[in-house]
Amino acid sequence: MEIRPIISALMRSKVAMILIGLQVALTLAIVCNSLFIINQRFEHMRRPSGMNEADTFWFGSTGFGQGYDARATQLADLQLLRQLPGVVAAAPAWSVPMSGGGWSTGLNLQPKQKTSTADTALYIVDDHAVDAFGTHLIAGRNFKPEEVVNATFGDSLHPAAIIVTKALADKVFPGGDALGKQVYLDDDPPTSTIVGIVDRLQQPWTNSKTIEYTTLVPAHMPFGNFTRYIVRTEPGRRDEVMKLVEQKLAESNPSRIIGKMRTIEQTRNDAYSNDRAMMIILGTVIFLLLTITALGVVGMASFWVTQRTKQIGTRRALGATRFDILRYFLTENFLITTAGLVVGGVLAYALSLWLLTHVADAKLLPWYYVPVGFVSLWLLGQIAVLGPATRASRVPPAVATRSV
Amino acid sequence: MLKMQHLSKVYRTHMVETHALRDFSIHVREGEFVAVTGPSGSGKTTFLNIAGLLEEFSSGEFWLDGVDVRGLNDDARSKLRNEKIGFIFQGFNLIPDLNLFDNVDVPLRYRGYGAAERKKRIEESLSRVGLSSRMKHYPSELSGGQQQRVAIARALAGSPRLLMADEPTGNLDSLMARGVMELLEEINRAGTTIIMVTHDPELAARAQRNVHVMDGQVTDFDAEPALRVKARDTDVEAAVA
Repeated sequence: MEIRPIISALMRSKVAMILIGLQVALTLAIVCNSLFIINQRFEHMRRPSGMNEADTFWFGSTGFGQGYDARATQLADLQLLRQLPGVVAAAPAWSVPMSGGGWSTGLNLQPKQKTSTADTALYIVDDHAVDAFGTHLIAGRNFKPEEVVNATFGDSLHPAAIIVTKALADKVFPGGDALGKQVYLDDDPPTSTIVGIVDRLQQPWTNSKTIEYTTLVPAHMPFGNFTRYIVRTEPGRRDEVMKLVEQKLAESNPSRIIGKMRTIEQTRNDAYSNDRAMMIILGTVIFLLLTITALGVVGMASFWVTQRTKQIGTRRALGATRFDILRYFLTENFLITTAGLVVGGVLAYALSLWLLTHVADAKLLPWYYVPVGFVSLWLLGQIAVLGPATRASRVPPAVATRSV
Repeated sequence: MLKMQHLSKVYRTHMVETHALRDFSIHVREGEFVAVTGPSGSGKTTFLNIAGLLEEFSSGEFWLDGVDVRGLNDDARSKLRNEKIGFIFQGFNLIPDLNLFDNVDVPLRYRGYGAAERKKRIEESLSRVGLSSRMKHYPSELSGGQQQRVAIARALAGSPRLLMADEPTGNLDSLMARGVMELLEEINRAGTTIIMVTHDPELAARAQRNVHVMDGQVTDFDAEPALRVKARDTDVEAAVA
């Protein structure tokens, strides 16, 4: 291999080498960090909500006019919904995972605790909610109908029984014995008893650091004339049932407006739109950077092939085979790329450290991104230089004797 | 060493067909110093390119050191070129980004010699041309005559049996040209066959034998040296006839 003479020759024309090396270095640093951020966003987006997302939808109902009885309407609506064909379960639900709005409170083990043991989202629901969300009880039991109390918006909620997610149960009772334990949903007594534990049900806020800490509170509590419902259908019948629900509820009580029906899939789509936009932007940046770097390599190599046509002919005359010439340019590119990648590896971690100190929730770039980036850019460089190198290998040896 | 019989070379474009060499026959014996002369466009460089395996010919026969060159693929021609032939170009053709050591090293690397063998050969050949003290210098730091000496060192480093020189003094002043010619004569005396293409009659006169080329054909040639007549083989006689 002609590594030493190639390095010697490159050191005689440093500017082009440094420019391409820097381009490779910056590309590696930016691509590695961008890919890491994309991966983080992707992982963020694909977290399971704990619900049956494919078959579930939710909507609001707002009554108007004097004499509108929100509580009675809610009960009647639920009775109607549960009788409709294709409906598996229906429940009142102030909020749902990923919706972006809802209630939260501190969950405490002692009254008047200064710092809550855990922050939890509250889903104010009835005894059909576990089914309606499509989550799974892994310990204890569901609410009994008599545990679902009537409450008025603004009341301080002190339910006798609550159901919590496993993550919350483990946080509050790390020993794994949360079932049957007493907790405070507010600063004051009375306590609530954990009667059930579900495997997972996310909070409404996708950026919450305690997204897995959720509590189901049994209560019928309309907000003025406004109520929200969540409905789970038989598999594959969601869209059909949505139309039917809209029609039947409108017919059942003309003194209210049925709000826009939203599937959980739409809700997820909206909740993660920023993440998706970020992924698209960063993906575009990566694509453009890689394209520009590849074009830079092609441009530089093409220029060098043209500039060195006589030299290539001379090498051929002195005994170089076509493969020797091809290998020369591939090696030259490999060396420049390697130099750039070494600098780029350092830059990648420097950029990651900078992000760590300047961007909330940023994490340090995992070690394997840089070697993967190394290999990818090596390959990109070699593929990019292959065209000009092949052209160089076709320079005939007779060029050596041409005077022009 | 080199024998061509009824060789022709035709360059074709979609409009024109140019016969650069036609019915070209020549025989160069081992140890000879032959000057090929002729006006511009006569076919000298085409002959040099074909003789040096830099270019293929259209028809005829060509043996190089006993090897029938017809039908050799590109890799085989490169290998044969590297092993048998040393080139000296009019413009020196040194690689400007490599120092003298690395310039002379170029053909040796393609030969596949180990580092120690290459170093020995490079030092010997640069010493032979009087430039052993300037191995780390770059071509741009040398005069034209010195650059041509480096090119000669590069050509000699692989111990070729045939040296092809294309107007080796064409870019040099008379003093430097004389030095280069003396060096070539010395190399020839040491046993290396030299074919030198030139249009300079003075230089040609210093060769053992002159072959004059005109319109792609050998039109005139000197008698071969008397001492070598005994070694002449019948093929050559036929070719020359």
